[in-house]
Amino acid sequence: MVETILRATLLGLQLGVTLALIAAGLTLIFGMLDVINFAHGALYMLGAYFGAVIAAELGSFWLALVLAPLFVGVVGAAIEVLSLRPLYGRNPLYHILLTFGFAIMIQGTVLQVWGGQARRIARPDLLTGSVAIGSLNYPLYRLFVLVVGTILIVAIWLAIERSNFGILMRASAHDTEMVNALGIDVSKVFTGVFVFGAVLAGLAGVLLAVSRSVNPGMGMGIIIEAFVIVVIGGLGSFRGAVYTALLIGLVTSYGALIAPTLTELFLFGLMAVVLMIKPNGFFGTTEAA
Amino acid sequence: MQSALEYIRQRDAPQTGNQILSRPGRLALVAGLLVLAAVGPVIQSVQPFWLNLLIRMLTFALLALSLDFIFGYAGLLSFGHAAMYGTGGYAAALLITDVTASALVVLPIAILTGVVTAAVIGWLSVRARGIYFAMLTLAFAQMLYVVAFTDLPATIVAAETVTGGDNGLYGIQLYELFGIDFRDRLNYYYLTLGIVALSLAGLVRLANSPFGRVLQGIRENEERVEFVGYDVQRYKVIAFSISGGFAGLAGGLYVPFQSAANPGLLHWTVSGELVVMVLLGGMGTFWGPMLGAGLVVLLEDRLGGVASWEIILGGLFVAVVIFAPRGLAGVIVSFRNDPRAAVGQARRAIENYVETVRG
Repeated sequence: MVETILRATLLGLQLGVTLALIAAGLTLIFGMLDVINFAHGALYMLGAYFGAVIAAELGSFWLALVLAPLFVGVVGAAIEVLSLRPLYGRNPLYHILLTFGFAIMIQGTVLQVWGGQARRIARPDLLTGSVAIGSLNYPLYRLFVLVVGTILIVAIWLAIERSNFGILMRASAHDTEMVNALGIDVSKVFTGVFVFGAVLAGLAGVLLAVSRSVNPGMGMGIIIEAFVIVVIGGLGSFRGAVYTALLIGLVTSYGALIAPTLTELFLFGLMAVVLMIKPNGFFGTTEAA
Repeated sequence: MQSALEYIRQRDAPQTGNQILSRPGRLALVAGLLVLAAVGPVIQSVQPFWLNLLIRMLTFALLALSLDFIFGYAGLLSFGHAAMYGTGGYAAALLITDVTASALVVLPIAILTGVVTAAVIGWLSVRARGIYFAMLTLAFAQMLYVVAFTDLPATIVAAETVTGGDNGLYGIQLYELFGIDFRDRLNYYYLTLGIVALSLAGLVRLANSPFGRVLQGIRENEERVEFVGYDVQRYKVIAFSISGGFAGLAGGLYVPFQSAANPGLLHWTVSGELVVMVLLGGMGTFWGPMLGAGLVVLLEDRLGGVASWEIILGGLFVAVVIFAPRGLAGVIVSFRNDPRAAVGQARRAIENYVETVRG
């Protein structure tokens, strides 16, 4: 009994931090750029595919873990510069639609290039086997994801709160014109934020590609879950996204023990209830249009 | 959202004048319908397969119409229109299998199902605005998808199956109506065409009515309409329900045609694609979204085998959002008004684009 609960908790936390990595990018992009990025799930999928290809070709999980997110970042940069940049200042609706277009395009491209067959990244030798936690044998790789994810989340939080770029980022979101007038190229900051979000999504894609299958539908699957998290947490709030992601991870994991088919229903129900009581989500401050 | 909507209206919405669909516009639509009616038998004799495609295009045109009514006219972005489409479709499937195949009974109930579903979702969602409204409609629609996918109703009423779960319901019979044989595709085509024409006429009337004017007022400036004394929330819920009725009707038309109802009808990607259709065509024009829907269905079908239709569709869509925010309708209107000016505008738009990208 205790073992089952401990296992579910660890699984839930691990799922939570991966979801947090995805949701963090989404919420940062919204908070800074006012863009609801529908292509975020597609970027996550792209990360998984790049990872799978690199791991297969070069035979190294570690290279995949480093290179694949960078490639996703390049794709993100192209999207931001070529399409989002000309649209800032227009109704935010257009960003949703634009990124939805990209989501379709990326999915189509992936299908075209790699076909519909599912793949997987082989577990690195270093991380095979399991560790004993009390009386529980827990897979080492899952523990690795949990640790890496946690470190990353804390690092991002510190970067936003403490680093110069974080301050610049928040200032640009708060008063774009003023920051611009101070001689800083805000459009570069925006590109930076979008690329950062894309890299995070790509990273989550690689991390999950070991335990989950890599398939063309995975992006569309995860994006709604990420939206639910970001909306419940409060659009644009990093803290909200992280807390909610952990909560959703745990709920999913415990839910799998009790009623696996109803977890998803519960997620959407939770989102609906939260939005009806707190229309801006738990940590949302500004009224988003 | 208010200011944004005003902004989008001024900058992007086609200036349709006082009436939605002016006289020439209506005449063009009637002419279009007559052409569609006339080519039916020709197409059937030449390439019967194309008739199926036309029926699908018409069904999605109806669905796009229903979304344009609340999105283009009341400014409510619904990202969950699949909910009404799907429930209408399932209602039709269940009725035809267990009760009656009479179109005179089933189609009205499909409409009613759409209305009720939309009324509930609308009532729960209208207080949220903009993106939050979109997200709520998305959440409710997705809940219904899960309900259908897991066949939750069967668990509740302890039946063996209700929605058929993952597999859905299949072998749905075609409608019965005055002894017409709908296995003849031409007859089903005329049924669909007639329903789409009637729906379009009804929606145009409604949009031009005082009720429609209030909706446009809500789109322009919700607060002002509220201050004048209108119950804005009520208007929104009613408009959403009307729209839902048409979506339910589309579902009810599509399911017997496909002879199957599956959870895919309710999936959020249907809602997303629908929004794509409306914007691609040009929101707030009725004819634009119908055109957009037809085009998307056509592209999907024609390019489906190439496996890269998603790339083309996505690319086309991205280009339209960047260069022609008023959609195809906007492009067509500006070309009709002044072709030379339109070309100049296009050139300027591209120059502008290059400049912003360079930064």
